[in-house]
Amino acid sequence: MKTSVKKLATAVGASVALMAAGQAAAEIRIGIAGPMTGPVAQYGDMQFSGARMAIERINADGGVMGEQLVGIEVDDVCDPKQAVTVANRLVNEGVQYVVGHLCSSSTQPASDIYEDEGILMITPASTSPEITQRGYELLFRTIGLDSMQGPVAGNFIVSQNPNRVAVIHDKQQYGEGIATAVRDTLRDAGVDVAMFEGITAGDKDFSSLVTKIKQANVDFVYYGGYHPELGLILRQARQGDVSSKFMGPEGVGNKDINTIAGEAAEGLLVTLPPSFDEKEENQDLVAAFAAKGEDTSGPFVLTSYAAVQLIADGIEQAGSKDPFEVAKALRAGTFETPIGTVQFDQAGDMESFEFVVYEWHTDGSKTPVN
Amino acid sequence: MQDLLYFSQQLINGLTIGSTYALIAIGYTMVYGIIGMINFAHGEIYMIGAYTALIAITGLATLGIAWLPLILIVALLCAIIVSSSMGWAVERVAYRPVRGRHRLIPLISAIGMSIFLQNYVHLAQGSRNIGFPALIDGSFRFGSGEGFQMSISYMQITIFITTLICMTVLSLFISRSRIGRACRAVSQDLGMANLLGIDTNRIISATFVIGAALAAVAGLLLGMYYGSVDPLFGFIAGLKAFTAAVLGGIGSIPGAMLGGLILGVAESMTSGYLSGEYKDVVAFSLLILILLFKPTGLLGKPEVEKI
Repeated sequence: MKTSVKKLATAVGASVALMAAGQAAAEIRIGIAGPMTGPVAQYGDMQFSGARMAIERINADGGVMGEQLVGIEVDDVCDPKQAVTVANRLVNEGVQYVVGHLCSSSTQPASDIYEDEGILMITPASTSPEITQRGYELLFRTIGLDSMQGPVAGNFIVSQNPNRVAVIHDKQQYGEGIATAVRDTLRDAGVDVAMFEGITAGDKDFSSLVTKIKQANVDFVYYGGYHPELGLILRQARQGDVSSKFMGPEGVGNKDINTIAGEAAEGLLVTLPPSFDEKEENQDLVAAFAAKGEDTSGPFVLTSYAAVQLIADGIEQAGSKDPFEVAKALRAGTFETPIGTVQFDQAGDMESFEFVVYEWHTDGSKTPVN
Repeated sequence: MQDLLYFSQQLINGLTIGSTYALIAIGYTMVYGIIGMINFAHGEIYMIGAYTALIAITGLATLGIAWLPLILIVALLCAIIVSSSMGWAVERVAYRPVRGRHRLIPLISAIGMSIFLQNYVHLAQGSRNIGFPALIDGSFRFGSGEGFQMSISYMQITIFITTLICMTVLSLFISRSRIGRACRAVSQDLGMANLLGIDTNRIISATFVIGAALAAVAGLLLGMYYGSVDPLFGFIAGLKAFTAAVLGGIGSIPGAMLGGLILGVAESMTSGYLSGEYKDVVAFSLLILILLFKPTGLLGKPEVEKI
């Protein structure tokens, strides 16, 4: 009995040693955190596919400083509570870099944990301005801010000379933030904002809201939030004979809105990052995605790709795997990525990021509006 | 005139949503009336009804069948059959074994069932919103060309009429049929009914099946009205319907109808005249107020201690 216990102990000891050795055989672990399930999983798919591709291609090129990248994917369901749980899990996994999270309301609490634990984080999708306003050293993003997107949308609406505008939002950090930015731009330009109102995310019945929009006789409706609610609002507005023009941020711009709104999605205006996948220099990359049967038209595919690439480039430039050194290198340098030349400011935001107004169509395609 | 049209439009919006709350609320109230437990999985049964109807509609569409009444009838039947069997199975699996124990035990079992069904649909159907085809399109319009026009969609009328028919049939069933009479007997005194030769287990199963069938009807109607379904769809609707049942007096069928309509109208009037942000605040404040002054709900009967 005694000997067998001893044997077992030796065996366990040996295997632990082996496992440790296996880890030491040089790999760089990158956590990829975003929604795999839940109502906005569509965007998570974009993020995961972009990050996976970047890891694959960087590894094929010999990795970073001779080490292979390993992606560890976790599901935060776009829920702030779940985001904290998975952030802790990544900490336990010994991850030093994170690409994510997707929803601003998840990124914010998770980033507290990463900053405390010395983990460098690049979000490819969260656009809430507050996230980078807290003076965090290890936090970056490869997407523009609501405070940039809001005015683009606001100025576009002003250029259409509407008489009265309604601004609706879903009372969440992202939706309300961007709706407020749009409202302020409109007010500054002297446009009559007849309604500024919140709805409850997850609600299905918008008939009262639609009636109210009709009564207020607005010719333009801006919605800050995600596609499940706007899809229903569009559909119910059409049934309720509302003829106003609708507009939303990049959170509504994906093909799921077509399955919900059907024909009512035709003519919806959306502010999106420019179609990086239509650029000349990215055609190789787009072909590589296409070979795997993946679609690059989503707004977050290439921003995630760029996030992984920036981590790799940052490590190379710093000549060190220490996240603090990498953060310094990222702030100091300029980087060529599929989303253009990236230069970070002190806060960790990109120096410039462009948003373009697109018109959405029933088949899920989009055309730029001038 | 304009204001009147606006008011009527909001009233109709409220009555439409309220009547579907009422359809779902029946399931809560009947089960409570008979065995005194709250079936928290009822919202999920409603959600499963909507999914089944959607699957049936999609299936018929791929078969190339486009005759609307046939599609609706088949979808309705499929939804009722699947939801009712689900309601029956839930009672068999999760409630019957714990019946007669402490009150909290069936309650927890019900919450567990609700979580299980939600996640089951998550896994089986994915977590995304799935679009529901608009089968009944178009509307009646009132008012002059300029200014506010009131419109009642055919879908709203369908919802209203269907609810009315279901309620009438249910009331007749409860008051006239043998099973209905047995239901009333069981709700008055389960033990005595048993002694008098009523198969109480069968009656309780029947209650679950009836509630689930009505929920399935609501699932199909609301799926078509709103245009999308997702696995969490039943939870919020279930909560609202439960509120409606409590508001009207839990255990009372006319109470569930009244409660549903009041809740629906209160919600739409709040978002119409105040702001959508206060919709739930007003609905639940109303509930608290009514319960403060009339703890048994609007039409509920005070519980008599049985000696």
